[in-house]
Amino acid sequence: MLKEGMELIDAHFKDEGISRRDAIKMFGASGAAMLMASGATTEAKASSAVKAKILIVGGGLAGMSTAARFANSLDNPDITVLEPAEHSTSYQPGQTLVGAGVWKNEDTQYNRDDFVPEGVTLIKEKAVEFDPDNNTVKTSGGKTLKYDYLVIAAGLKLDFSKIEGLGITESITSRGDDSAVRKVIGQNGIASIYFANGATDTWTQMQKFIADAKSGKKVKGLFTHPNTPIKCGGAPKKIMYLTDARLREAGARENAELMFLPNGSKMFGVKEYHDAIVNQFEARDMKWNYRHNLVGVDPIKKVATFSRHWKEKGDWDEDLEEYSIVPRSEKVEKEFDFLHITPPMRAAEEIANSPVGSSKGWVPVNKETLQHVKFPNVFALGDIAAVPMGKTGGSARKQYKVVVENVISMMEGKELVSKYAGYTVCPLITSIGTVMLAEFNWTKKPTPSFPLDPTQERWIWWLLKVYALKPMTQYGMLSGRA
Amino acid sequence: MKKTNTILLSIAALFALSGCNDTPSSPEAKKYTKTSEEVYQQSCVKCHGKNGEGITEKKSPALNDRQAGELELDLFDVKNGGTNQSSGTDHDIMEHNMQKLMAKGYDYDPKAMAEYIEKSFFNKEVPKEEVAEVTPEAVPVVAEPAVEAVTAVTEVTPVVATEEVTPTPEVTPVAE
Repeated sequence: MLKEGMELIDAHFKDEGISRRDAIKMFGASGAAMLMASGATTEAKASSAVKAKILIVGGGLAGMSTAARFANSLDNPDITVLEPAEHSTSYQPGQTLVGAGVWKNEDTQYNRDDFVPEGVTLIKEKAVEFDPDNNTVKTSGGKTLKYDYLVIAAGLKLDFSKIEGLGITESITSRGDDSAVRKVIGQNGIASIYFANGATDTWTQMQKFIADAKSGKKVKGLFTHPNTPIKCGGAPKKIMYLTDARLREAGARENAELMFLPNGSKMFGVKEYHDAIVNQFEARDMKWNYRHNLVGVDPIKKVATFSRHWKEKGDWDEDLEEYSIVPRSEKVEKEFDFLHITPPMRAAEEIANSPVGSSKGWVPVNKETLQHVKFPNVFALGDIAAVPMGKTGGSARKQYKVVVENVISMMEGKELVSKYAGYTVCPLITSIGTVMLAEFNWTKKPTPSFPLDPTQERWIWWLLKVYALKPMTQYGMLSGRA
Repeated sequence: MKKTNTILLSIAALFALSGCNDTPSSPEAKKYTKTSEEVYQQSCVKCHGKNGEGITEKKSPALNDRQAGELELDLFDVKNGGTNQSSGTDHDIMEHNMQKLMAKGYDYDPKAMAEYIEKSFFNKEVPKEEVAEVTPEAVPVVAEPAVEAVTAVTEVTPVVATEEVTPTPEVTPVAE
């Protein structure tokens, strides 16, 4: 039934001579119009005449949307965005689709300069030093910028250097210079969709893997998930579902063993989605083994080393009135033909180690108001904010409005009333043509936006994911409206 | 072409009409039987100390070195066994202990507890005699690993096995 609907629509587009890319554009126009008409967009409250110098560190999706909303809301905007990278603003959720050959890299790439809102000053430099006691930030170009309000939206770094044997010493961002990583990741069956070129290379490696399986060779694919918070918690599984789908399409599924190896011990923090995913894995003969953290890779021998960890019963603990627990671990090696790495992730050093950072690196904020715990005129959002479960574009879409509203309240001398409730969304791609739209928040209960069972895979969510979310981001969020 | 527009518009309408509701569908406010202070003074204090200074001997970390926002993230991680889909927790031991403590009624709202700890202990000086009390010379007792490991495996299997499949019990950090 699902499949039929999907095929009908795809076939219809084909008949009309409409490519998927055209459909995205058409949807963009009509979708944006509908958004505006339906009132799903929320204009920031009546524009405010208060004046202040606002500095935004980071010009990704979170930073640029924040800048746009400030520009829309203030009569006299004085907003500066610090962002060195030309392609900082991108549609990262599309990288999963690039990795599986559904989209091309150019479908996910934007030019930063196209999204700098009117009235906003862009400085193409990086923030290198923070002095929140004196309200200044130093830039890589040697400028000292003074601010009244600072918004940190600097994203996160991909840290492949924590994995031994790859010969990588630098951390990278999802777009920008990836030369240190790309010479290893994207070769020899090793792949990662977490950076843009890596996603392109993933498709090349996946095709080789599938060709091997098709030739009759018995092959093994491993999919990792590290022990750090990661952006888009579902992507490590999505790329596995898509590998499964491509193998089936090629009629070679029975020759491939696919195994998910996460550091944690569940598929999802929300029970309903966890259960649904376990069922989907079983139905597809996709295997998993919890409590495995990737610590090393031999790219030549194609062997991955994991720290497998478990707990054992220890001595009686009088205070706890229970037996204590002793953590144990051992290294285990696994051969692979295809290895999809989700790298460890962390905040950039210059922020992590600064007064606005924290022991874990993420910028510590009140998780509801997004105000810094130590410096009241500093706010953070997006991947760098120390907020549980929050590293998705869907979270940023809720957070940027909260930040803007609260900063303006502060400027007007009012209480901070706007609160983020932890909403996040994971459109979990379960095959080519189906998605499970996992929406949830800190209550750890499904919080569906639609009156449909959220644990079901549906082709309609595939349409949302493949055709609608990108234009919604582009026309809604980056304009600061939705 | 007309059909195309119908398809696109109907999808758009569905998404647009749903709006994007911020409020959870069923915010069941969770009731806690004890206040954060009661939980701390009756239970946490045993391992984290009278001043939240931590007890080296018990390998329990200090809690008085962080402000509420930062602490809350850790408490969230402890109670939920992680802040991400499959990353796991940064507090392997405490996650286990917390489940036991919650079963004994020592449950709390992470936000309220973080605020209590900050208010009571953050940046407060720890009285000298108490410092002496919590840093004994004695080396922590380490179990003999080889023997312990072998005997423990069979004994502890049920715990590990259930943890694999049983997601953390419901935790509702609401209570405002």
